[in-house]
Amino acid sequence: MLCLFKSAKRIVVLGLSIISLIVINQAFAEVAIIVHPSNSSSFDKATIKKIFLGKSKSFSNGRAAILLSATPKDPITEEFNKKVIGKSSNQVNAYWSKMIFTGKGTPPQEMASTSEIIAAISANPDAIGYMDASAATSAVKVVATF
Amino acid sequence: MMKYLRLLLISFVIVVALPTKADIKFSGFGSIIAGKTLGTVDDPFNPGQKRDEILTADFYDVGQYDNDITFKAESIFALQAVVDLGDKLSATAQLVAKGVDDFEPEFDWYYLTYRATDSLTLMAGRRNIPMYYFSEYSEVGYAYPWMRPPSNLYWWQITQFNGVNAMYSFDSGDYSNTVTLFYGNEYSRDNTEMGYYEVLFGGESSTVVDEFWTDITGVNWNISGDIFDLRFVYFQHDMERTRHFIDTTSDQLNTSQKFYGFGGSIDLNPFTVLFDWNFVTRDDGLGTEYPTYLISLVYNIDDYQPYIAYSKADHERTKLKIDDLEEHYIMSYGVRYNFLPNASFKVQYDHFVDQGHEPSGWAYHGDSDTISLGVDFVF
Repeated sequence: MLCLFKSAKRIVVLGLSIISLIVINQAFAEVAIIVHPSNSSSFDKATIKKIFLGKSKSFSNGRAAILLSATPKDPITEEFNKKVIGKSSNQVNAYWSKMIFTGKGTPPQEMASTSEIIAAISANPDAIGYMDASAATSAVKVVATF
Repeated sequence: MMKYLRLLLISFVIVVALPTKADIKFSGFGSIIAGKTLGTVDDPFNPGQKRDEILTADFYDVGQYDNDITFKAESIFALQAVVDLGDKLSATAQLVAKGVDDFEPEFDWYYLTYRATDSLTLMAGRRNIPMYYFSEYSEVGYAYPWMRPPSNLYWWQITQFNGVNAMYSFDSGDYSNTVTLFYGNEYSRDNTEMGYYEVLFGGESSTVVDEFWTDITGVNWNISGDIFDLRFVYFQHDMERTRHFIDTTSDQLNTSQKFYGFGGSIDLNPFTVLFDWNFVTRDDGLGTEYPTYLISLVYNIDDYQPYIAYSKADHERTKLKIDDLEEHYIMSYGVRYNFLPNASFKVQYDHFVDQGHEPSGWAYHGDSDTISLGVDFVF
């Protein structure tokens, strides 16, 4: 009887740890939207979403936006898609496949690493990207976090 | 002739692309799908005899499943090249190899794109007619949850045209809009789908059918917000169908058709609702009408998307007061599993019910139950 109680307790502890792990994992990273320090356009969530879905092609300063993304393997991509676009990465990929093969849009250019994104954005006044907020440097301007 | 033309085009792309180091981007999509029907039905053309159930999964190319497992009905491989020709001008070509054509590659799409402004894009060349909600990317299996857009609605013998598109995008409040005007023609000699029906009804004395759709003129309006994407379409075209008989005579149907459509997707996390309603009228003196609709519910759970879909097609002649000439529905159940960021596995079960008017020979599809499974990918 005692033995049964112990194993039940163990299962509960195990279950709680798994749940807390999942919760921790979900609150994993804060997404920062980054642009060139000279870009003084206005950004709210709706604007950022439209830009990253190719529905708005320019910033409020009138310049055409150049979109950069992390690789699909980078966990920040899933965070960005979930929090900003409001869709799973697979749904976002399906959206872009329809745009590419009907000639109606070009998806963001994938950058291999966070440092490449920072380098590209700090070198181009019209580029916009996203990254883990904790890794942002003064070479880029954070215009929103999610 | 086509082969030489194809070779010429490929060489042209290579010649243009390589020495000048023009910016050329390759991408592609594909589906490897296997399937079979599960039983037999009474053969409407041979009373008293049974035949395999048949599901026409692709009406345009006549890709069909029967009791033998096949990969040929729906498998497809497509390569897209986009050549950047300058500031605002690009050329796009899609080379497509389909199982129904023994994977013989063809240039299905080729067009020039001119981005006049941020909001105005002009396209000229060969593309799909934006007929239904999923028409323009109906072959890109990765872009939608099901194995295919419901074939009993996507049933027209013409899907592509040579012409021009003008797309204008604008915002209204929080909504993004795109209005597209299109105009073009399609001259399909020896049309695959019409030829299939000639064989079906005419047997050995069957003939070649030419199907010409001209002055295809239309508009569609796409409006999308945070949780929805809706599309209205209207277009009309003249239609000339010529059947060439063995004795070198021919007969001709000259008419015109009007298409009305309203479709879209609504995200009600974790559910997605997809729908398409269409109505086609033909000015043929019989009052021919084709009302069709689709409704589908998709449940998004992590990398899995179980779904159900119901699609219903009708064919009526209002001036003759004969209903239900050709009528059928498909109830589909399936699941999509996104096992890679660029690839998904799908399995689908289709229950096709032929409600056609049997005495007049319109029940020629026959009922069928079909299982299909495969992988869609993009690269």
